[in-house]
Amino acid sequence: MFAPATSITAKVFRFDPSKEKEGHLQSFIIKTSEPLSVMTILAKVHDLDPTFACRTSTCFKGKCGSCLIRVNGKNVLGCIELVQPGEEITLEPPSHFQLIRDVVVDFSHPLGAQQKYDEETEQ
Amino acid sequence: MKITKQLQTDVLIIGAGGAGLRAALAAAEAGSKVIITNKGPLAKSGITLTAAGGMQAPLHPQDSPERYFEDTVQFGYGLADQNLVHCLTGQACAQVAEAERFGAQFTRDETGNLALSQFPGQSLARNLFFKGGGVGLVAALARACRENENISILEDFFVTGLINSCSGNAAISGAIGLNLKNGQLTAIAAKAIIVATGGCQRLWEINDCPTDATGDGILYAFRAGAKLVDMEMVLFYPSVIVWPPSLKGAFVHYEFLDQAILDGNVYDKDGQAILPKPLPVRDEAMRIMAKAIIDGRGTEHGGLLWYVGSSPKGLEAVRKKLDIAQYNYIRKHGVDPATEKIEVAPGAHYLLGGIHIDEECRTNLPGLFAAPECAGNFDGANRLAGSGITAIQVFGAIAGLAAHHWAESNDHCEADPLCLAKEISRVADRLTDCSDLEPAVPRLRDQLCAAVQNFAGVIRSESGLKQLQQSINDIRFELLSVKVPKTTLFNQQLTDLLQLEIMCETAQIIAASALFREESRGHHFRSDFPQQNDGKWLLHTQAGKSENGLTISTKDIVMRQKCR
Ligand SMILES: Cc1cc2nc3c(=O)[nH]c(=O)nc-3n(C[C@H](O)[C@H](O)[C@H](O)COP(=O)(O)OP(=O)(O)OC[C@H]3O[C@@H](n4cnc5c(N)ncnc54)[C@H](O)[C@@H]3O)c2cc1C
Ligand code: FES
Repeated sequence: MFAPATSITAKVFRFDPSKEKEGHLQSFIIKTSEPLSVMTILAKVHDLDPTFACRTSTCFKGKCGSCLIRVNGKNVLGCIELVQPGEEITLEPPSHFQLIRDVVVDFSHPLGAQQKYDEETEQ
Repeated sequence: MKITKQLQTDVLIIGAGGAGLRAALAAAEAGSKVIITNKGPLAKSGITLTAAGGMQAPLHPQDSPERYFEDTVQFGYGLADQNLVHCLTGQACAQVAEAERFGAQFTRDETGNLALSQFPGQSLARNLFFKGGGVGLVAALARACRENENISILEDFFVTGLINSCSGNAAISGAIGLNLKNGQLTAIAAKAIIVATGGCQRLWEINDCPTDATGDGILYAFRAGAKLVDMEMVLFYPSVIVWPPSLKGAFVHYEFLDQAILDGNVYDKDGQAILPKPLPVRDEAMRIMAKAIIDGRGTEHGGLLWYVGSSPKGLEAVRKKLDIAQYNYIRKHGVDPATEKIEVAPGAHYLLGGIHIDEECRTNLPGLFAAPECAGNFDGANRLAGSGITAIQVFGAIAGLAAHHWAESNDHCEADPLCLAKEISRVADRLTDCSDLEPAVPRLRDQLCAAVQNFAGVIRSESGLKQLQQSINDIRFELLSVKVPKTTLFNQQLTDLLQLEIMCETAQIIAASALFREESRGHHFRSDFPQQNDGKWLLHTQAGKSENGLTISTKDIVMRQKCR
C-alpha cells in the first residue's frame, strides 16, 4: 500500500525584465490531498510568496481566457486544468503574448502566433 | 513616487464590466471622448463574466413593465427607490434590442423566438438568456468599444483614488491610478466620471465572485464625499459550491430546482430534502439552508447537497439543461452535476446597497456618476434573478448619456492640490526599498473575510457586529505599518495591499450599517430583531463621511415617480 499523496510540486517561472536578464524556475510545494486546478495552484503560490505575480480573476466557465498559461510546455486554460496530488508541474507564461512579469502576460499585446490561438479557442 | 503621466478626457469610466462598457458606448455614441479603465485585462476580469447570463425583460405577451415593476418592488421588500425601478423596468425591452445591436446574442426557443423562462418571484416568464452567459455579453460590448474611435481603453490599470476639485463644492476633477504594465502613476482629468467598479463580495469567505470584487469604486466615492445607501444589504445566493476545493466559489442554480425546471432539491447529510416547493425567492431559500447548516445538518465541509440526479424530467432533460459553459466547467473538474450531489452553502453574490444615485445615475457630488452593482438604491433588500444584467444595461446607458451631457455643459475643474497629494501618498507611502518582508496581506485578508463571514453573514446580531468592528480595527491597525517592495512591473503586492485597505474600510461601513438597521428585511437578518418593521424601517440606511470618520443616518425611499 502506498500512502496517499498530500502535495503538489509547482515549478513556476520567475522573471522581472526590469531587473534581470533571464528567467528561472522556482519550486513551491502546495499541500493538498484533493486535485487542484492550475489557477488555484497559482493563487496558492502567490499567497505563499506574494512577490510572485499571476492573474487570479476567474469567469468560472473556462471561456474568458484570463487564466491562459503554459503547463508542462503546453498552452492551456488554467481554470479547467486539473492537477492530482503527487504530481509535479512546470508553469510558464503562455507564449502568444508579451510578458509583463513572472507568468503574467499583456493580453493587449499579442505576438505572432495570436491568430492560431484565436482559432484554437473559438468554440 | 510622482505622477509621471497626465491624460485628459471628457468622460472617464472606472471599471469595464457590463455597466462600464455599456456606459462607454452610450457616451461615445453621443459624441464624448471616453477613457475606460479596468484593473484587469478587458473582457478577462469582473463580475459580469461570471454571470450565468439571465436578463429580465417583460417580453411575454401578457407581461408589461408595470408587472415587472410590481414584482421588483414587492420582492425588494419595499426598499428600492421607485424612480429607479421605473427606469429599470421601463427600459429593459429597449436594452434587449441594444444588446443585440452591439452583437450579443440571446438563446431562442424551437419557434425561433427569444426563449423566456420563469424564475422565482417573476409573475410571468421573464428571463432571457445570453449565449455564452456573461462572457458572451462582455465580449460583444468589448468588441463594440474597441471599434469605437471615441473610446480609449486602459487595461491592467488600477485606479487608486478620485481627486476632488478645488472649487469648494466637492466636485470631482479626475482620478489617479497605477498602470500595472509599466508602473506609471497616471493622473486622468475628466469633466465627468462614472464609477462602475462592481461589488465587494470578496469580503465574505464564501462568495461566488472573481477576485476583482473588492468594492474599490464604492469606497473611493465615499472617501471623496459621496453618500452610500443600504450597505448592510448583500444578497446571499443559496447554492455556492464549497467543496471540492478546485470548484470553490462556482455556483449551481438553485432556480433549476423549481418544479417547472428540473425539480430537484437540496438535501442534508442524512438525505432529507430541505427546500419547500414552490421554490421560495432567494432570501427565504438561503435562510432555510443556512439554518439547516447551523442546526448541524450539513456535511463535514459545511455544505448541503444540491442534487438533480433523481429529476422526474429524466436524465436526458437534465443533461440538456446543464449543457452550458457553467456546468461544463464543473464537469471538467471531474464532477458530473447531472448525476452527482454537489456541496453548496449560501454565499455572498451581489451587493444590493452601494453609491446613492438618482434617475440620471448622478451621485451627490457634481460630475460624479455611478452605474450598477456599485450603485445602491434600485434593488432594495433582495433582487430577483436576471435584474442584475438588466440593470447594467439600462443604467449603464443612462449613466453614459448623462455623463456626456454633463461633459458638454461643464468645463474641467481644477484638481485640489491637497487631495492630489494625499492620494499620491496613499500609494507612495506603502512602498519600501526593503525586499525581505514578511508577507502579512494574505493572512490579514483571510482574518478579515472570516470575521465578515461570521458576524455579517446570513445571521447577524448586535454583539456579533460589535465583535466584527473590533476585529476590523485590529486588522486595520496591523495593516497601517505594512509595506511592499518597489516593483515597477505588475506590482500585484501593492494592489493586494491597497485592496485590503479598501476592504477593511468597506467592512466598517457594512458593520455600522448592519448595526444601525434594527430589523430584519430581505437578506439582512438580525437574530435580535427578527421581524420586518415597516412602521420604523421603510427607510434607507445612509453612510457618509464626517469629521470623525463615518456617520450613519436614514434616508427616505423615493416612492412612485417617473423616470425622465
Ligand atoms: C456568479 C454570478 C452569477 C450571476 N448571474 C447573473 C445572471 O445570470 N443574471 C443577472 O441579472 N445577474 C447575475 N449576476 C449579477 C450580475 O452579473 C452583476 O451584478 C453585474 O454583472 C455587475 O456588473 P458591473 O459592470 O457593475 O461590475 P463588474 O462586471 O464587476 O465590472 C467592474 C469592473 O471594474 C473593474 N475595477 C474594479 N475596481 C477597479 C479599480 N480600482 N480600477 C480599475 N478598474 C476596477 C473590475 O476589474 C471589473 O472589470 C451574477 C453574479 C454572480 C457573481
Ligand atoms: S478563468 Fe475564464 S477561461 Fe479560465
